[in-house]
Amino acid sequence: MKTMIKNIFSAALVLGFMLPAVAVAQNADEVFRAVGTPHNPKVQISFNRYYTAEGLDALTKKIADAYPNLVKRVSIGKSYEGREMYLMEITNFSKGDPDRKPGFYIDGNIHSNEIQGGEISVYTAWYLTENYGTVDFITEMLDERIFYIAPTINPDARNNYMKEPNTGSSPRAGMIGLDDDRDGLIDEDLPDDIDGNGSITQMRRKSATGNLIIDPQDPRKMITIGVDDKVPAGVQRYEMLGQEGIDNDGDGRVNEDPHGYYDPNRDWGWKWQPDYIQRGAYKYPFSAPENRNVADFVLAHPNIAGGQSYHNSGGMILRGPGAEEDLSTYNRADVRIYDAIGRKGEKMMPGYRYLTVYKDLYSVFGGELDWFYGSRGIYTFTNEIFTRFAYYKNNNGGRNLSYEVDQELLMGDAFEPWKPFTHPTYGEIEIGGFKKNFGRATPGFLLEEELHRNMAFTLYHAYHMPHLSIADVKEKDLGGGLKEITAVIKNDRLMPTHASQDLKYKIERPDYISISGVDVQAGMIVDNEDFGVTREQKVEPAKLRVRNIPGNGFVKVRWIVSGRGKYTITVDSAKGGLVTR
Amino acid sequence: MKRQYLRWLCLCLTFFGMVTHSVAQDYNNASQLAQRLRALANSSANASLQSITRTAGGKDVWMLTLGTGDVDNKPAMAVVGGVDGKHLLGVEMATRFAEKILADHSDVLESTTFYVFPNMSPDATEQYFASLKYERSGNAKATDDDRDGRMGEDPFDDLDGNGIITMMRVKDPTGDWMMHPADDRVMIKANRAKGEKGSYKLFTEGRDNDRDGAFNEDGEGGVHFNKNQTYAFPYFTPGSGEHPVSELENRAMLDILYTKWNIYGIFTFGPGNNLASPWKYNRAGASKRVVTSILRGDDAINKLASDAYNKAVGMKNAPRSGAQGGDFFQWAYFHFGRLSFGTPGWWTPTVKGDSTMKPNKDKNAEVNFLRWAAQENQTDYFVDWKKLDHPDFPGQEVEVGGIAPFKMLNPPLSMIDETADKHTAFIVDLAAMQASLELVNLKVEEAGKGMTRVTVDLYNGGTLPTHSRMGARSRWLRRIKVEVKLGRGQEVVSGRKIQLIPSVGGDSAQTLTWLIRGKGSVEIEAGVAHAGSDKVSVNLK
Repeated sequence: MKTMIKNIFSAALVLGFMLPAVAVAQNADEVFRAVGTPHNPKVQISFNRYYTAEGLDALTKKIADAYPNLVKRVSIGKSYEGREMYLMEITNFSKGDPDRKPGFYIDGNIHSNEIQGGEISVYTAWYLTENYGTVDFITEMLDERIFYIAPTINPDARNNYMKEPNTGSSPRAGMIGLDDDRDGLIDEDLPDDIDGNGSITQMRRKSATGNLIIDPQDPRKMITIGVDDKVPAGVQRYEMLGQEGIDNDGDGRVNEDPHGYYDPNRDWGWKWQPDYIQRGAYKYPFSAPENRNVADFVLAHPNIAGGQSYHNSGGMILRGPGAEEDLSTYNRADVRIYDAIGRKGEKMMPGYRYLTVYKDLYSVFGGELDWFYGSRGIYTFTNEIFTRFAYYKNNNGGRNLSYEVDQELLMGDAFEPWKPFTHPTYGEIEIGGFKKNFGRATPGFLLEEELHRNMAFTLYHAYHMPHLSIADVKEKDLGGGLKEITAVIKNDRLMPTHASQDLKYKIERPDYISISGVDVQAGMIVDNEDFGVTREQKVEPAKLRVRNIPGNGFVKVRWIVSGRGKYTITVDSAKGGLVTR
Repeated sequence: MKRQYLRWLCLCLTFFGMVTHSVAQDYNNASQLAQRLRALANSSANASLQSITRTAGGKDVWMLTLGTGDVDNKPAMAVVGGVDGKHLLGVEMATRFAEKILADHSDVLESTTFYVFPNMSPDATEQYFASLKYERSGNAKATDDDRDGRMGEDPFDDLDGNGIITMMRVKDPTGDWMMHPADDRVMIKANRAKGEKGSYKLFTEGRDNDRDGAFNEDGEGGVHFNKNQTYAFPYFTPGSGEHPVSELENRAMLDILYTKWNIYGIFTFGPGNNLASPWKYNRAGASKRVVTSILRGDDAINKLASDAYNKAVGMKNAPRSGAQGGDFFQWAYFHFGRLSFGTPGWWTPTVKGDSTMKPNKDKNAEVNFLRWAAQENQTDYFVDWKKLDHPDFPGQEVEVGGIAPFKMLNPPLSMIDETADKHTAFIVDLAAMQASLELVNLKVEEAGKGMTRVTVDLYNGGTLPTHSRMGARSRWLRRIKVEVKLGRGQEVVSGRKIQLIPSVGGDSAQTLTWLIRGKGSVEIEAGVAHAGSDKVSVNLK
């Protein structure tokens, strides 16, 4: 009997493994392709809801299992609470050396409550894999480039946001406990979910001296009493008591020592400043382990030429500098490239604006995008996903917009109606307000569009990573057994192999353009072919060291060689890849 | 009886001291230091030793805790050596400090804990003992110092085969260097504004192995502990590392320091010096968002410490402070928010010239050093310039020579007893100034109807404030917590049950008052780990 059970069990197990993922796809006869979307994908995913850290892990595993030749799923390390941080490497692994292809890095959710990046990451992985071989643009992209995608780089607190009581803006930090009120105790006064609905909303109390009344036309809403307003005697006045919570530590303050607090996006090693200068900084750059894992991965992958981090909200495509004091880091040559990509993004994502962090948002040190660019020379954007524009496809929404959306589009799912409770300090109170999943997180019915548009922007960015080819090779017989070989190395995309920040500090090594198979007598870079202006490289002329191959540009090199054999020219660029002819 | 016992103890300690001295004729290598620290930790119940990490070079980084009782909740100072690997003296000074505290000043441990980090650069200091000696600050991390994609392709070369790396001068009319008028062994840059002309090129000893025109620009390399901290981090310079606090040594130490809430001060034996002359307040630097000047008020603390230092140690004409971007001792104040004091612990005394000597008009440090070394009958401190054929300079006159590495920074061990004693005594004096919180002037009044008014002064009996201006800004220094511990049926009617106080100045007080209702007694507790604590019991009226 026992053996039988075991047999059945193992048979089921084998069956489970052998059943191709296709089994879950729809019958091909039953569907019709909506343009631009995989219509019968191997991996079925609902893109109108959000996933916990484990949910994201399960999805990336499904994608990796379904497309082993396109996806390798690796752990870049553990989070503070010990979760594996999975990153998908996505490329055509059977073509070329994967880590030598120009790489594009994507992550989401560094701020734990800013969740959409997780789903955009999964959507991007899904879209790339399901369209490989069907859509030429995608096929070429995966043949020539590699994507490194980490759906959440704050998995612990992502779960906290979803599973524990929070507002739409908390915890934002990771889960490392800190002493916010400097009293020697750590996270001792967290928010308290008095009404048990999973969201931290607002507390109000009836009060003869209160300055608010309930809107007679909408019981969800409070109206502030103006100086000249005459409130009839029978109308109840209210006072607001702040966020839902109690004074857990008896110090006379409510919710003053929540999770963290530190800001994982003030923890990066470019012009980092301590907490008293830059609120949110932790101990030192990459002292949050999740960020250290990312930084170590990026340092080990000099092929990464473009980067994208997803935040929410406000509909912004952000570039650095984060801090006004760092203005000089972003020089004109690179800003032109940012501008070209950012403006395209404004078109692709209606309602989004292309902005600069320090002047349009806030002036801050230690942000992720500044480290990627300032320290690694990687062109990087941060998108603040979702904007109120999305609700009615216009910017006309006024003060009542949230209430209208709740009623008209979300059928009242966004608002927790006011209900009475007894509070240990405040006595009889009422609790209610907008739930944590409203306001910053995109509503389900808009989510797939949001994911797609952001992905499309990022693919455009990735398309413009350097793309090198040996465009032209000319030979000239110089007599006496000598031959002159001139080669044109072309880069037909926006980004150079070295950002100007990179050139300024020699962040990445030069590009090598080498020739083999012949005896090289001399090697030189050709500055002007027509007038014969060249610069000779006296040492190791067979391996010319070129500082940069410009975007939408070219570099010409020349060798004087002897010997008649077949020769090979190789371009070896850290960010531009490896090309041979 | 007691006196006899003390005398016996003294004898023992003297004997112990003699043993150490007779063994140590030179600075310690890593294994000698480890042995010495282990012996020290084993010798006393007041000392414990732990390795906080192992470097890429496989060396332990040690932390010695000196203290009694609840060591982590007593005001504490960290004493740090070896922040720069070429400064072996710093290692020795920190180690001797620990030895002397246990031997001669153990009473200070009643009120102060010391965390001693004798050597933060054990990979680098080992170069002093290597077969090829040169002044090294970098750890064993492989680095591409000239950022050209090749690692270690142009190291030093011992051209004259003497086992030490000195300098190389090449006679060349295009060179910028000339001989010092007071001592032609010393090379200085020609000052064109004064009509001087250079006739030499000056390099470190070696070949241009990669033929890129630069000499010895990418050798063993490594990251410098004292260039890898966050304050004014020197990005993309040799020795800095790819980002601040990238190295095991730096991370391990910071991870420890950030858990020691009781540390109020840090004393660094290294190139940075704010004791011979204090940091100066600069209004512009102090009022910017990124603060680059000591804050007003904190400069007075630094001045106080500096005056005491100069009086206690009595060394004059200190060279300019060797503070640099990414260093530890500035980090300790500007980013860690602690009082930070630094000194090399020794520098070349100034030799008064006599009529037989050419005047050292610009007070050139090398000229002075050579005179001092001669006066002290030292040996092996200078390698005489010697001509040799150099393949990179065919047909040119090339000489190798110069001041031997390490000698200017690290005096012979036999000469440091006095300075080590004085520095230890100074640190003990500094600890005596630390903030010390007490509750005094307790007043208990009946306020009628079962209520009692309690008034007490929170007094800082130390010379130093509980929080410097910078410390008050930092989240990494706790506030003073005052709590009224209530029993059943007791209630605070006025005043706060728990309150946090940002700072109490040296020899200053803050009056606290409560109206408490109830019977029996309550306890009032006040304090913070880095400034001490006190409690009083109050009988309610």
